[in-house]
Amino acid sequence: MSNPFLSIEDQPGKMIVNVKNEWIFDNVLALEHATASVLPQEGQEVTFQCAGLEEIDIAGAWVLYDRTEQLSELGIKSDLQGFKEAHFKFLQNIIDAAAIREFEESEEGPEKSTLKRQVMENVGQVASTRVEDLGEIVRSIVNGLHRPSLIIVGETLKQVYYTGVQAIPVVMIITFLIGIVLAYQASGQLQQFGASVFVVDLVSISITREMGVLLAAVMVAGRSGSAFAAALGVMKLNEEVDAMRVLGLNPNQMLIIPRVFGLVIALPILTIFADIAGIAGGGLIAVGSMGIGSMQFIERVAFSTDLADFYVGLAKAPFFALLIAAVSTLRGMQVTSSAEELGSKTTTAVVQSIFLIIVADAFFTMLFTRMGI
Amino acid sequence: MENIISVRGLVNRFGDQLVHDGLSLDVRRDEILGVVGGSGTGKSVLLRSILGLHKPTSGTITVLGQEIEYQKPGPSHCWGVLFQGGALVSGLTVQENVELPIALHSDMPVETRHELASLKLLMSGLSLTVADKYPSELSGGMRKRVSLARALALEPKILFLDEPTAGLDPIAATEFDELITYLNDNLDLTIMMITHDVDSLFGICSRIAVLVDGGIVVGTVDEILASDHPWIRSYFGVPRAQRARRSVGGASTPSR
Repeated sequence: MSNPFLSIEDQPGKMIVNVKNEWIFDNVLALEHATASVLPQEGQEVTFQCAGLEEIDIAGAWVLYDRTEQLSELGIKSDLQGFKEAHFKFLQNIIDAAAIREFEESEEGPEKSTLKRQVMENVGQVASTRVEDLGEIVRSIVNGLHRPSLIIVGETLKQVYYTGVQAIPVVMIITFLIGIVLAYQASGQLQQFGASVFVVDLVSISITREMGVLLAAVMVAGRSGSAFAAALGVMKLNEEVDAMRVLGLNPNQMLIIPRVFGLVIALPILTIFADIAGIAGGGLIAVGSMGIGSMQFIERVAFSTDLADFYVGLAKAPFFALLIAAVSTLRGMQVTSSAEELGSKTTTAVVQSIFLIIVADAFFTMLFTRMGI
Repeated sequence: MENIISVRGLVNRFGDQLVHDGLSLDVRRDEILGVVGGSGTGKSVLLRSILGLHKPTSGTITVLGQEIEYQKPGPSHCWGVLFQGGALVSGLTVQENVELPIALHSDMPVETRHELASLKLLMSGLSLTVADKYPSELSGGMRKRVSLARALALEPKILFLDEPTAGLDPIAATEFDELITYLNDNLDLTIMMITHDVDSLFGICSRIAVLVDGGIVVGTVDEILASDHPWIRSYFGVPRAQRARRSVGGASTPSR
């Protein structure tokens, strides 16, 4: 058996391994196979004769060293000989490092807890962090409102612009399209009963009570929730938040309050635009393809939809906005260390915002139904 | 002596600003070359040009006989870079950071990779207790050491250091200098370092390259100190440079 990296001379009582060629990083895999083929008999001593080495680096030297260690664990004596000085220093590095390591490993680490205990700990931790989160949100808002300065007003208006005004086109387009979808789906069913005209009722009531505000909120959660979390997260990573604190500025007041209030103002405005666009989408189908006259459509909307329906939708907007802003800013402020964490916190912010919006919407629907509104 | 890196006629222009004007530089095998220069003289641009991270206006750069092209994979296997801030992957542990280049560049088994990474950490003067920590949990000096271990992961021939001792306290900086000298001696590494640490310049560099007037002045410490260029005179004339020079025993230089 010929191997480019070593040749073995088997003699009674000892085995001489002539190490040759390039023992370098690129060849590590081949070197490991080569050294694995050094299989002395019991009682044989192994000598690695290293004079034939052309080149060696840390990786190559480690493979050699590792094999001698493995052999000594099997109770076989082994020896490294004939190193050139330029090569030996690589091996010396490894011997030094191994000594440090042995010293370190002699100091014992802490005990590991059992699985059951870990599960319990995790459950407890999740529960307590939720409570902590809630407390943190309340604390930062209350703290932010302490001794307010005029800067808040300007910052809040800026946020209204970014989160509200800039979102108007996209929110209107999606609700317009949803209005079309609702009208189409309803018309197929209602035409069977000859009740096509109720399509108008269905679209205008569902848009104003539910869909308008919900779509606007989900859009804002994706758009501004992620923006809040990412912006605050980067500020935390850049120590901007710490710098503010040291300068005597209140980061809760400067960063969180404007976003919360900005969104609380912006989302109801967006909801109004969403309602208009949604009903217009329904109207397009009703008038364009179902033969309902445009005046009839307007009358029907006015007849079927109370202002109460409109207010029911609108009333939910500030609550949704509060949820989005509070969760997103909280997650942003929780970023402490890494870019990876920034990504995961931003994801959490959006997912939790949308989740909480839907939960809250279900709650509101039940509440309003019970109240008979 | 053999040239590991050679830069020929390097020109870098940013708008009206001419940073390098036909700069030529040779880095010799096994030396520690210190690069200094005032702000805006293009130390980082020079380094980035050599690494293929910046496209020079004109000029050729050869590293280990291979010509460097912008954003083309250079001899990445043969060089290691220690960026100023460490540039560790923040989402990976220390151990994973060092293993990453090995995993990408070789097909060795996981245990071997693991062992080699641990070895590099130990050689960089770190305790293996940090292996499972994340970069954000480490001090600045330790992060530099982890970054150094990562730079050494692929058994490079050349090590580029960007201000390795910046932001370290004098004790840590001295230890880092010792580590660099050790690596230079024991791993046959050629080292090119950008530094403003006059202690490192006098203490461990075999030659110094000074970026001035769009060009470069290279020489041993003695030669540079004898230069009558006004900027060089003022750089090495300030009290802290004078003190550093005295503390390493006059202007003696480690010669090779």
